[in-house]
Amino acid sequence: MATTELKSDNLFEMMKIHLDSDAGKELIKNIGLVYQINIAPKKIGFDEVSYIVDLKKGEVTKGKYEGGKPDATFSFKDDDFIRVATGKMNPQIAFIRGAMKIKGSLSAAQKFTPDIFPKPAKM
Amino acid sequence: MNILLLKVCSYYYYYFQQLLNIRRNKRRGERIKQKKRQAREKEIKMSMRELVTGGAACAVPGSSSSSSNPVGAFANALIGSSSKTQGVLKEIPNAAAASPHAQFYPHADDPVAALPGSELDRPFLQSNPQGSEFIRGFRTADANGLADAWEEIQRQPHFDRVYEGATPAPPIQPSLDGPPQRVLSSFLHSFVDSSRSGIPLHPTPLPLLGLSQGDKQCIRDRSSIMARHIFADKSEEFINAQVNALLSSLEIENDIHARGPMPGRFRELEDYWNESQGVLKPGAHAADGWVTEFSQNRPHHGDLEAWAHSFEQKHGAGGWASEFEQEQAQLTSVDQMRGGNIESLAAIQQTRMLAHTLSQNSDPKFQNSKFLQFVSKMSRGELIIDDNQVKPASENWATEYQQQYNGGASWADEFVHDEVFRGPDHWANEFGAERLQQESVDDQWVNEFSKLHVDDWAEEFGRQVGEGALGDSSSDNWANSYDEFLNEQLAAKQRSDASRGVYVFSDMNPYVGHQNPLKEGQELFRKGLLSEAVLALEAEVMKNPENAEGWRLLGITHAENDDDQQAIAAMMRAQEADPTNLEVLLALGVSHTNELEQTAALKYLYGWLRHHPKYGTLAPPELANSLYYADVARLFNEAAQMSPEDADVHIVLGVLYNLSREYDKAIASFKTALKLKPNDYSLWNKLGATQANSVQSADAILAYQQALDLKPNYVRAWANMGISYANQGMYEESIRYYVRALAMNPKADNAWQYLRISLSCVSRNDMVEACDSRNLELLQKEFPL
Repeated sequence: MATTELKSDNLFEMMKIHLDSDAGKELIKNIGLVYQINIAPKKIGFDEVSYIVDLKKGEVTKGKYEGGKPDATFSFKDDDFIRVATGKMNPQIAFIRGAMKIKGSLSAAQKFTPDIFPKPAKM
Repeated sequence: MNILLLKVCSYYYYYFQQLLNIRRNKRRGERIKQKKRQAREKEIKMSMRELVTGGAACAVPGSSSSSSNPVGAFANALIGSSSKTQGVLKEIPNAAAASPHAQFYPHADDPVAALPGSELDRPFLQSNPQGSEFIRGFRTADANGLADAWEEIQRQPHFDRVYEGATPAPPIQPSLDGPPQRVLSSFLHSFVDSSRSGIPLHPTPLPLLGLSQGDKQCIRDRSSIMARHIFADKSEEFINAQVNALLSSLEIENDIHARGPMPGRFRELEDYWNESQGVLKPGAHAADGWVTEFSQNRPHHGDLEAWAHSFEQKHGAGGWASEFEQEQAQLTSVDQMRGGNIESLAAIQQTRMLAHTLSQNSDPKFQNSKFLQFVSKMSRGELIIDDNQVKPASENWATEYQQQYNGGASWADEFVHDEVFRGPDHWANEFGAERLQQESVDDQWVNEFSKLHVDDWAEEFGRQVGEGALGDSSSDNWANSYDEFLNEQLAAKQRSDASRGVYVFSDMNPYVGHQNPLKEGQELFRKGLLSEAVLALEAEVMKNPENAEGWRLLGITHAENDDDQQAIAAMMRAQEADPTNLEVLLALGVSHTNELEQTAALKYLYGWLRHHPKYGTLAPPELANSLYYADVARLFNEAAQMSPEDADVHIVLGVLYNLSREYDKAIASFKTALKLKPNDYSLWNKLGATQANSVQSADAILAYQQALDLKPNYVRAWANMGISYANQGMYEESIRYYVRALAMNPKADNAWQYLRISLSCVSRNDMVEACDSRNLELLQKEFPL
């Protein structure tokens, strides 16, 4: 269970709950797009797990997007996604270095910033 | 008839250049290298074009609506010298009259051929850019079709033989009929040819060609130079005779001093040249400088000395164009001389010239431009054009460059290691982004350049950039991002050490040499001066590397200071020193949980159980190799049932539940533990963190507050507070807490990153800069608690 999951799962779980909170509602209002995020454990493109962050409806689901096409699709390695989501790595830098792949609408992609994800606290 | 003039000039440029290229192209390179080259080329070309044409008076060759431009021609020529053409040029000497055009428009599979938004009408990077561009440009610009005449000449096989040393053709009598251009062309043609046959040219009265004064001057210059070049093996007299013959035929005054300002087209050039010269008057000064340089470098070419001398005499208002033309001739003759490393020397010479010229420009922007530096370095031979690549002659260049440009560190390093040629896109982006911080004059061309590499960028993203979806603000973002990238690189070394578990000691530790640093450290820790305690404890473990307690305390201090990397490193050392210490194992488990390293965390928590005197029996050793969360959880629950009054078990359980994200159970465990140990500040923090991670931020803040009441200098709790506020969208508040945490421990990288995010959320970009530069004072002043 816990041992075979990706680190990013934590973030997505948090995001799921976060979207129900007030701050989450703000996000939905401000962005209102659907992102698909593919996380690969070791190398982009292999064994990917897809998450749909639906900032229109306010849901986070696992698996490919069913209701059409996501506004933007990202591909990350597990570690890199954590880095980008916690602000350790700037998305533009990630893009330059090839740590982040983007498909879809550019303007949608630009809205994907670290601050939409809630940060994990440290025990 | 300025067109005529310009055509003559350009033709010579073009031809000499091709010669250089032919030899250059004899060396093979792979496609990848070519791509790299092209990336470089683009830079050089664009920069050259910009600098040279300067957007001032000179127009761009190849654009049908503008006037021809020897300046641009030179630019093209220079670029051509460093470009690796695909061997098409090799064909030129063997050109049948059949399809010379094919030569000029080579392979279309140039991947970067289509550059949208290029200021040129046609792809800039076709293998034979200069000539074809030029010819076309002239053709369009000039109704007289002189270009045809020159092309005709080019096609003539025997003309080529002039440069290839084949058997001389019989002297050709110039046809005196036909349109003026044709006459001129054939006449010039025969002039050149006559050299090979060694037959002096007969002064032939030509019908009036309508050469203007400017044209005449140009022809005079050129022919002199050409003559010297072609007749290099002949005597000076012969050369002069030939030239005179030519000139008199053309009714050009051979008075070398009679130089007036060139009319018409050249006025633009003049203006530009004068402008670029600044206060420097075209004339002796520039010529002297050049000649001196030149003489210094070519002492053994006596023939050229004489020539340089005569250049000095002749140099006048004809100025810039002739100067470079002469340089071209010089280069070609160098080539013919087959001195040492001809191409690179020639290139060095060329660039020296360019650098010299450019450095005359008094505009400081110009002076400081990266490109100028680059060219200067090229000219000083610090860069070698080796196999059609520009490589630094030594590492020094990279280092020097790095020093000069703050933040250029990784760029220079990468260049030295050839990593920058990873792909034109990568390099282009980096370069473009980096440039933006430097406020250099390369603005335009880099922008162009970055925009132009649309197709090389990744997929749809790149295309959309080309469509202009990225606005100017993005450029700033790029610049900032690159800045961050560099900062990250600089810090990466330290981080990578730590992440490998290598503890990074601080420098300048005042506690080294202290009598009993451990005691000191414990005191400081108790008092809550965490950063000080770190130093003292480091002194201790430096003295006694096997002191488990020292390492343990150091680890805990780091954890409380919100530095998990160092905490892990220290704890690992502690564990080495004492593998059974429960606190160490727990701390390791916690830190790894924080870092979301689930496997490792499980391992340590399980280890805690195994080494526990009471519960060790519960944990069979063989399970340690294939730990499944479910099993471990079960075991812990058994332990808890065994002794419900043991707070530690509950704490570990709580951590375990965090791992599996069963936050409710974790909260329950922690609350149980807290009932047993209400004054454990770290326990309150754990509770708070669990609540925060289950997005119960309001509760979390309360828990943190409790922790802080117990330990006011608990950096981690401060940072966690900030996180909770930020997660609730209360960014203003969060900023204050982050700043407070950082005030206590400026090394808390996490906090810096989160602070930056919060700052950008409230759009305080001025403070973002302060954040990037880690200007704590400013931030504290701005955001007090």
